[in-house]
Amino acid sequence: MKVFMLRWPTRNGLPPFGFVALLVIALLSLILTAPLVEIELERLGQSLGNFSEFIVNFMVWPNFDYLPTLGVKLLETLQMSLLATAIAIVISLPLGFLAARNATCHPVVYRITRDALSLMRSLPELVWALVFVSAVGLGPLPGIMALAFVTVGFMGKFFAEAIETIDPKAVEGVEAHGASWMQVRLFAMFPQAFPNLAGTMIYVLDHNVRAATILGIVGAGGIGYDMVMSMRLFQYDRLILIALSIYLIVTVLDRLSDYLRNRIIHGAKQ
Amino acid sequence: MSSISIQQAVKRYPNGFEALKGINTEIQAGSFTVILGPSGAGKSTLLRLMNGLETPSSGNVAVGEQIIDKKNVRQIRHHVAMVFQQFNLVERLSVVTNVLTGRLAHRSWVSSMFYLFKPSDMDIAKNALSRVGLVDKAWNRADKLSGGQQQRVGIARALAQQPQIILADEPVASLDPISSEEIMQLLREICTRDQITVVVNLHQVDLARRFADRIIGMNSGQIVFDGSPEQLDNIALQKIYHKEGAEYESFHAALANA
Amino acid sequence: MSYSQIEVKLPAKPRNPFPVWVALALITLWWIIWDLDISFETLAYGVSDMAEYFSRYGQPDFSELSRYLELLGVTLATALWGTAIAFVIGFMIAPFAARNFTPHPSLYYISREFLNFTRALPDLLLALIFVAAIGLGPLAGALALGIHTAGFLGKFFAESLEQIDKGVCEGVAATGANFPQMVMYAGWPSILREALGYVLYIFDRNVRMAAVLGLVGAGGIGLALHDTLRLFNYDQAAALILIILLTILVIDYLSAWIRKKLT
Repeated sequence: MKVFMLRWPTRNGLPPFGFVALLVIALLSLILTAPLVEIELERLGQSLGNFSEFIVNFMVWPNFDYLPTLGVKLLETLQMSLLATAIAIVISLPLGFLAARNATCHPVVYRITRDALSLMRSLPELVWALVFVSAVGLGPLPGIMALAFVTVGFMGKFFAEAIETIDPKAVEGVEAHGASWMQVRLFAMFPQAFPNLAGTMIYVLDHNVRAATILGIVGAGGIGYDMVMSMRLFQYDRLILIALSIYLIVTVLDRLSDYLRNRIIHGAKQ
Repeated sequence: MSSISIQQAVKRYPNGFEALKGINTEIQAGSFTVILGPSGAGKSTLLRLMNGLETPSSGNVAVGEQIIDKKNVRQIRHHVAMVFQQFNLVERLSVVTNVLTGRLAHRSWVSSMFYLFKPSDMDIAKNALSRVGLVDKAWNRADKLSGGQQQRVGIARALAQQPQIILADEPVASLDPISSEEIMQLLREICTRDQITVVVNLHQVDLARRFADRIIGMNSGQIVFDGSPEQLDNIALQKIYHKEGAEYESFHAALANA
Repeated sequence: MSYSQIEVKLPAKPRNPFPVWVALALITLWWIIWDLDISFETLAYGVSDMAEYFSRYGQPDFSELSRYLELLGVTLATALWGTAIAFVIGFMIAPFAARNFTPHPSLYYISREFLNFTRALPDLLLALIFVAAIGLGPLAGALALGIHTAGFLGKFFAESLEQIDKGVCEGVAATGANFPQMVMYAGWPSILREALGYVLYIFDRNVRMAAVLGLVGAGGIGLALHDTLRLFNYDQAAALILIILLTILVIDYLSAWIRKKLT
């Protein structure tokens, strides 16, 4: 195909097959699913109008009287993430051992633990929050449980993989001195695998703060509830503060976690 | 036909290190010049001044009467091509596409974004490939070729630019002796047949002797020799390759005292 | 000579800050538990009831399966479109956010900040805003996902671009190529595999998020789950959870498989 005498740098002048195939599949799937996403051109045009109207309405002077309540809710959000992460780390340590091929007590236990961890991290935190709210009622408790649940799934797998990649010679050394099953794991495996966790812990904390901000939507504590309510009640003067504060917290945590992770990498190099 | 002229070029790095300490020289059009010297002498820096990959801290570099500055760098690169020690090909792309990148400066960016080229560009690329003897490998991925072959692709890319000057920065340092020989022959032949100015960085004295019209010897950021291969005698080599400084003296003094 | 007469002086033991950090952490956690008024009684009751509670989910009710599958389709489509939007935005912005490609330092900072900004806002917040602005439905969800994950994708792409071997970039630059040409010839071809891997990762993540966006009216299966739990319809909720779980597991598996194929 010579479009205005131009061609592609391939044997036959046409674009490479793999690339074209990928492009066609992608475009087809998008076009076919467009109606499901309710993409109609007129609607998009209308939406633009609505959207600019909304932005104009959104630009109101923030309601600073709301700050104290906001502060409390934000604190609650942070507290939830911290507590959930801490609990999750504690629980995932022993689970990590059971889910590691070289540290588990029985292959069946290994399989079950691995699959359980996989299930725990498959559903988004919000789904678990829904379930736990239904079980223990409203408040930060179900939120903490939901966060901890998913985090255990993630950290458990990560820790297990860290254990599986340790140097077996150090383990043999300790075993040769007659250490018990527990002692081997505590003194030979754990110290080797643990340092890997530090960077991941920071990442998980960062992730959990973001997740915690929205759990309130289903009543599981944190700023999420206020966020939805002020939207529903058109209280844009509050919403602006909420959005801004979430943005600030997440950004600060993001930079902090980048900085800490770099420090850890450089620390390890020393 | 343009020549290259370097006037009082100094290159100083932020940490204080002076790679070039005031270079003055002219490269004649159509000549084959070799810049010879040990590592760290500043050969690379000097060569890269000539196509704008390095800018001097003070002094000028002019290509064909035009002093290189930020605005005309890309335009100057229309006429100045470079061959690198590490070949610097785009590994995932085919040999042909790599050669065609030499035509990018001559294409509008809109169509080149979609990897579209004119038939005339394809012809130029094909000719360049046949000049370096790699037509049968045209559709292979660049990283599937041997070192010598990849360097030939690099030269083909340079040829595709239809340049007036080809700069080669240690083009054979990563190659075995036979491939090195082929590459130097190729560069020499391009210089003679196409009347392209060629400037090559080398640290191998025998290659410099055999292929150059003119040798510029460098040491520690300064030109310490400038003449024909015949004039390159042991005294000249000493000047080029001797190690500077007190450490050299004290090292030998220490040996003497031991 | 007895051993008591030999004095061995060890160097002073270095101060170990570790116990201090642990103590601080424990104090903080204790304070949080107190401040949030976490009643361990509630938890204990909850846990002991857990067995009973989870048994309510034991008989999933698939009677409305066709409706659920439809909703699932909407969810997946939302994730797909969200990923596509993220890709387009990330593709266009990433070269400006890569130190070695960006045509001007100010463009670098602006694009980096833009990507950080879109990453910082939680997608649910964005979804809320879009629902308020353009109405209920999956379009709001797709836009929210698209913009939020554009920040991630853009950052991933930019970081990959920055890792490209300097020589390859110089090779193309030395031919006189301009910014868009450098990006298309030295940039994207060098990171094709990683880029595809990132896109798959983001799609995977978007499927999870799309499942819950329904809670704020942005379409999909999330709203159905919320409603069934609100009405204590545990059987239907169980069915929905199973469907969501299965879908996520399948997408996880597929994307991991494709990513393995890429390396």
